[in-house]
Amino acid sequence: MRPEIAALLEDLERQGYIADPALATTLYLAQEMRRPLLVEGDAGVGKTEVAKVWARLLDTELIRLQCYEGLDVATSLYEWDYQRQLLRLRLAEGEGRSAGEIEELIFSRAYLLERPLLRAITRREGPPVLLIDEIDRADEAFEAFLLELLSDFQVTIPELGTVRAEHVPYVVLTSNRTREIGDALRRRCLYLHIEHPTLEKEVRILRTRVPEAGARLAAEIGRFMQALRRRRLAKAPGVAETIDWAQALVRLHGEHLDRETVEQTLGCILKDRHDLHELGTTEVEALMAEAVGAAG
Amino acid sequence: MSRPDLVAHLAGFARALRERGVAVTLSDAADGVAALTLVDLSDRDEVRFALRAALKIRPRDAAAFEELFARLWSAGGEGAPAQPSPPRPPRLQTAAKKRAGGALAAPPGAAVEGADALPGEGAPGWSPEALLRRKAFDACSPADLQAMERLLDRLALRLATRPSRRRVPVRGRGEPDLRRSFRRAVAHGGELLKLARRARPLEEPRLVVLCDTSGSMEPHTRFLLAFVLAVRRAVPRTEVFAFNTALVRLTPWLRPGRVEATLERLAAGVPDWSGGTKIGECLAEFVEYYLDPLVNRQTTVLVLSDGLDRGDLAPLAPAMRAVQARARRVLWLNPLAGDARYEPTARAMAAALPYVDRLLPAHDLASLERLLPLLAA
Repeated sequence: MRPEIAALLEDLERQGYIADPALATTLYLAQEMRRPLLVEGDAGVGKTEVAKVWARLLDTELIRLQCYEGLDVATSLYEWDYQRQLLRLRLAEGEGRSAGEIEELIFSRAYLLERPLLRAITRREGPPVLLIDEIDRADEAFEAFLLELLSDFQVTIPELGTVRAEHVPYVVLTSNRTREIGDALRRRCLYLHIEHPTLEKEVRILRTRVPEAGARLAAEIGRFMQALRRRRLAKAPGVAETIDWAQALVRLHGEHLDRETVEQTLGCILKDRHDLHELGTTEVEALMAEAVGAAG
Repeated sequence: MSRPDLVAHLAGFARALRERGVAVTLSDAADGVAALTLVDLSDRDEVRFALRAALKIRPRDAAAFEELFARLWSAGGEGAPAQPSPPRPPRLQTAAKKRAGGALAAPPGAAVEGADALPGEGAPGWSPEALLRRKAFDACSPADLQAMERLLDRLALRLATRPSRRRVPVRGRGEPDLRRSFRRAVAHGGELLKLARRARPLEEPRLVVLCDTSGSMEPHTRFLLAFVLAVRRAVPRTEVFAFNTALVRLTPWLRPGRVEATLERLAAGVPDWSGGTKIGECLAEFVEYYLDPLVNRQTTVLVLSDGLDRGDLAPLAPAMRAVQARARRVLWLNPLAGDARYEPTARAMAAALPYVDRLLPAHDLASLERLLPLLAA
């Protein structure tokens, strides 16, 4: 393993993010090649967390753009501050300025409201990490616009001219795959698909994030989750659910898994009515046997 | 490995991937070269992770990638294209099938290196004899096709009824658009002479069609495919899949144009495994690889099948349940349901029925016409 990647792996861990070599390698490449990183994977596997921990590692600002259907330039890039512009316009009338002067005055940076994308490229104190979360929720038109921005890192504002990036930001895009991301945008990025964690990794995550859980409980929870994900579920629980569940069990003073507590708290990990219904008592017992039995 | 070696091997590796139907372009291969200069080339996993990131390998292509990578690595970088390999154990056989489907999924001529990525060529399990015979499409007369096209052209506008979330400038009615209004006002010294307005345009519906092309459906296939193609002309984003013993994404094959021409192209390229149907396995594959990106709360899923199946039905109900949970509506068109005495007792049909919003007949033009309001956005 390249020493830089090994070091990155350790740094990630020190920041409380248990990474695997695949993630560390990809993140290192994104950093060195200065390419946006497209992260896909099921809900709750820690996609957004990648951007957060990256910003902490680089000791820089995290600028986040949450995508949704109908997201447009006015909410993602910039907007003019109309109220202030109009007020200034009224004042300017009394000052006897020419129309051209007035226009130059009110269409200046002072009257520009910066939205996340513009802020990401105009940040002066060094490159930020720009998180474009759930890009699949935005529509295709926005994706095309984003592609342009991510290629040139410059924006043309008709009234103001072209704004170039002070520093090229580190970019993370995440997608839940509710829509296929266009090929052109995918090509611009490096790609990482995050899987559900292995048993060993999940237990380590639990030990880091919920230290009060204790070694035995963490191991049992880990095995239970692994067994659960092998079942046919509508919504397989992610690491986020595992952590929630561990916290709930700690609150209930559970030192190891018992059937009653598991059944009471199953709502922490199964968030689909059908899944909860399907997982009857016998099935829970079978899972318990896999989780606890193996420990004995 | 020395640098020039690496480049040569990577080009071969990318070509081998393309032959497996994995969409890897020259720019991806260039990214791969750049990535390999940054990692430890003696570390197998590191090279593997770097290539997965740089070549943008999606989960559905992971099996093909891993197999070829193992070959690349063990041959010391010999990334020669896959030759037809000896018979595989069952799990790998599905991978082989997927690969065949994947090769098909690349639109003809769209691959970067043109000729060397022609669908089916050199991929195991494929031969020209397995291609669909033209006669399967002959049951529908040209007059029928024309009538259907005219009908669908008229109805195309009626399919688009859902207001978009985006707003576009309009004249007349609509909510005030402050941004443009003020911009305009500046030209008149800050006087708002006229409000600019914006509104939500109407959107097309989103449709995904799964068409059974097995032997028992043969009399209806041409007719139904013609219908699907006509719907696609009205709603170009419609995704189309064919299934019988395997699932094939037809969408890349359906370019705009006359229905007859498209049918000809399909006849020349779509595999025919007529014989058995494996609805359960095909739908499970659809759920695994395509449900998330293609189906959302606005999507109507249309299954065209007679529900006659000899395969393993265990995966069918969970797959249908997953589809229904995600889609706006699941419609099942059954050519047999046109008969008044029909009852959905075929095993697959009965298993799928609880997860179907409407079971509808599909045996003639009139029954398809009645279906259209249900497809509207």
